[in-house]
Formats: sequence, structure tokens, C-alpha cells
Amino acid sequence: MIDRATLEKSILPLAAVIAWELAGRAGWLPIYLSRPSAIAAALVEAATSGELLRALAASLLRAYVGFALGAGFGVLAGLGAGMTAAVRHFFDPLVSFLYPVPKIAFLSVFLLLFGLGNGSQIGIITVAVFFPVYIAARHAVLSVNPLFVWSGRNMGAGRATVFRRVVLPAAMPQLFSGLRIGLAHTFVILFAAELIGARNGLGYMLVEGEEALRFDIMFAAITSFAVIGFASDRVLMAVRRKVLRGQIIGTQEEMP
Amino acid sequence: MSMTMRRALAILAKWYSAPLLLVLWQIAVSSGLVTSRLLPSLNLVWNAAIVDVGNGILIHHAGVTVARAVTGFALAVVVGVPLGAAMARVVLLGRLFEPFFFLGYPVPKIALFPVFIFIFGFGSPSKIAFTFLECLYPIVVMTYLGVRGIQTRLIWTAQNMGADRLTILRRVITPAVLPGIFAGMRIALPLAIVVVVVTEMIGDTQGLGYYITIWSTRFRYANVYAGILAIGLIGFVLDQMLTWWRGTVIRWEQERSRL
Repeated sequence: MIDRATLEKSILPLAAVIAWELAGRAGWLPIYLSRPSAIAAALVEAATSGELLRALAASLLRAYVGFALGAGFGVLAGLGAGMTAAVRHFFDPLVSFLYPVPKIAFLSVFLLLFGLGNGSQIGIITVAVFFPVYIAARHAVLSVNPLFVWSGRNMGAGRATVFRRVVLPAAMPQLFSGLRIGLAHTFVILFAAELIGARNGLGYMLVEGEEALRFDIMFAAITSFAVIGFASDRVLMAVRRKVLRGQIIGTQEEMP
Repeated sequence: MSMTMRRALAILAKWYSAPLLLVLWQIAVSSGLVTSRLLPSLNLVWNAAIVDVGNGILIHHAGVTVARAVTGFALAVVVGVPLGAAMARVVLLGRLFEPFFFLGYPVPKIALFPVFIFIFGFGSPSKIAFTFLECLYPIVVMTYLGVRGIQTRLIWTAQNMGADRLTILRRVITPAVLPGIFAGMRIALPLAIVVVVVTEMIGDTQGLGYYITIWSTRFRYANVYAGILAIGLIGFVLDQMLTWWRGTVIRWEQERSRL
């Protein structure tokens, strides 16, 4: 049974797609705005020819390897900075100077270092993901309630145990917010990097479609890009719910 | 050890890494350890910046970038704050727009930029429109959550004391929502700069993104670093201005944030 709320929520998206399709069929739209049905057909065509799969694989490889590297370095440095003042004093000034600079500005440097291949794109994504993850991890450790740490120490836990059993779980929620921001950055950087310099991937498929005036292919690439960004976020959120299942109990999030 | 010396040492211990990196950079380049066009000496970067500031080129491109970023950001604030508040107060509006903002939030909107170029053309309008869209998301979502999060007992108390709807909006709801609105703006402002620079790199003939791209295709990396420096400076100054504005508007939170 469809209730009123779901119905009202789906009005606007549905109306937009239907209006788009009808306007396209009536010939009111400029040539570069393909109809939804044409985009769906292009998606099917690209999927059956294997072109879409190759582009997806190339883009996802860059996105996930870059994200994993950036998140790994960010978590390590951030946790270290939270635990030790010396590490914190090394990274903090660098991060506060470099954080506001759009990392994509370094793309040309990376292109010259690593060439047009995967290396430059993975490198720039790694750098872009590092910063939000570092900041989140550092703040997360520093904002752990000292009472918890003292209690742990008092009960005879060593530094390593306190870190593993007290600090890390308490820091997890903020760490995941950092990872989520990092994931969002991943796809923005990936898209720009692939448009500017790549020989395969979804960004390249988009440019190819545009240059061949196959705007349905261009939109198929755009749609795929939106879908992988959205789906990756959902996967990360599912992992988060699994990891944080103890901490979610009793909050607004527990309600469906 | 005297007090001032101890304080100087403490500052040094806290901030040593940024100057250290610059010194290492300079040593690596001037000792001939690294001889790459990729890493010009700090001197060269500084000279390139001075020359291009002097002849007005860097100032011109920076001005274009700032104008685009601030215009798109301001439009998003003007539209996003009332929209977010209305979505939180009117159930039907909330349900109509919720999927657009909450399901659309994790979608990389940059993928739509080519469509913006087709609709608005290559110059400023497509960049401003796209910056507006990107900034709209955090501002609407944070305003919406802020208004939704107001404790009803505050409103009940005000009603009980005889306040009318307008007074409640002005004296209760607005102060309670302001921190949320500013949190949204603090997320949106750096986003605006990033988005403008990225879109300028994809295709334009003006702005800092173009400046960086054009010099890197000519392998003049001193100018590229000068451009990166300018972007960092702009981001820093704009963020400081927003923080200052927040301080003058939300005076009552200052004590806590200084702790």
C-alpha cells in the first residue's frame, strides 16, 4: 500500500522526468538535452557493448584505490596526531595552510609526475581525501571524554588497550563523518581529473559522447557517475551502521 | 629561562613544520638535489607572484574567481535559507523537496556541469549557476535540520508569555537556527571556491583555474604555484570573514567557542 507521504515525496521527481520526456518528444528541447528514454536506451547500448563496464571499472578502480590510500594515511596520521602532541604539531600547521586550497589545482603537477595514466588520478584523489579524514580523526581522538580514558587506566588497562577499547570506539562516529566527506571529494576530483586528462573511464566516455554529438551517451555517462557516487555513499553508510550499531541505539537514527 | 623565551619556544614547537617544509624545499632546489621544472625555488615562485600582481594579471583572474564564488554562494544563501526553513515548517513542502535534497546530497553534481555549459554558455553564468547549485545543498540541509531541531518547549514558553507569531519568529526561532545556518555556510563557502576553480580548469578564459591551467601547459610552474598560493589566500580570507560575521551575529556563543 502506498501511503500519502511516499506519494507526495515522489511527485516532484516523477513529474520532472515525465515533463522532460514529453517536452523532448514534442521537440521543444534543444538537441543537447536528450530525452530520458533515449538516455536509458544509450545506457543499455553501452552496457551490452561492454563499453560502459570498461569505463565503470576504470573509474571505480581510481576512485576506490585513491580513497583507500587517502583514508588510510588520513586515519593513521589523524589518530597519531590525536594521541601524540609531537605528531599533532607536525601536521596541524601544514593542514591548516593546505586545507582551503582546492587539491585539483595540483593536478597539473601530478600529471607531469605520473603521466596521463591511473597514477596521477589516484595520487590527486589520495591527497584530496587525506585532509578531511585527518581533521576528523584528529578532532575525534581529542574530543574523547577524558573520564573514559581515566576510568580505563584506573581499571589497569595499558595504553594500547585504552587506545583499542576506549579511544577508538569513542572516535568512530566522527571518523565516519570524515570518511563520508572524503568520499564526496573523491568523486568530484575523479570527475574533474578524468575530464581534464584521462584516456578511459566515465569522464572520458562523457567527453567522447559530447564530441561525437551523441548527447545520449554523454547523459548515460553522467547518470552512471551519479549512480556510482550515490551507491558508494550508501555502502559507506551501511558499513557505518554495522560498525556503530552499539552507538546508534537510543538516537534519532534508530527510528526507521 | 625567561618567560618570553619559553613562549617563543612553545610557538616554535607548534608551528615549526610549515617553515621547515619551505626551508627543505629551498635547500633541495638550491643545492641541486632536485632539478625539476616541477619544483621551482621559492624565490622564483615569489618573483612570479610579484610580477603578475604588479602587472595586474593575477589580480584580474583572482577577482573573476572571487566574484563568481561569492555571487553563487550569496544566491544560494538568499534562496536556501528561506527554502530550508519553509521545508521544515510546511509538511507538504518538506515532502516535495526532501528527495531532491536528501537523496541528491551524495550525488556528485559536478557530473552535470557539461549540461550547465550547454544551457548557460562558457563564461561566468554557467559557473555562477553551478556554484549556486552546489552551495544550495549544505545550506538548505543545515537550515532544515536547524529549524527541525528547535525544542518545542522554547516556542511553547514564548507563546505562554503572550508572544505573537512574528515575535516568536524574530526572537525565538531565528536565534535558535542561526548556528545551523552558519554551519551550512561554513561548509558551502570553501565548496564555492573549489567548484569555481574546478569549473574554470575544465573550460574558461578567465579566473584562477584558467590561470593555473594555462601556465602548467606552458610548464611555467612558478606561476602555477603562485596561482595555488592565491587560491589558498582567498579561501583563508573568505573563511576568516565568515567567522568574523558569525561572531558579530551570534554574540552569545563567543564565550564557549573561545575555550
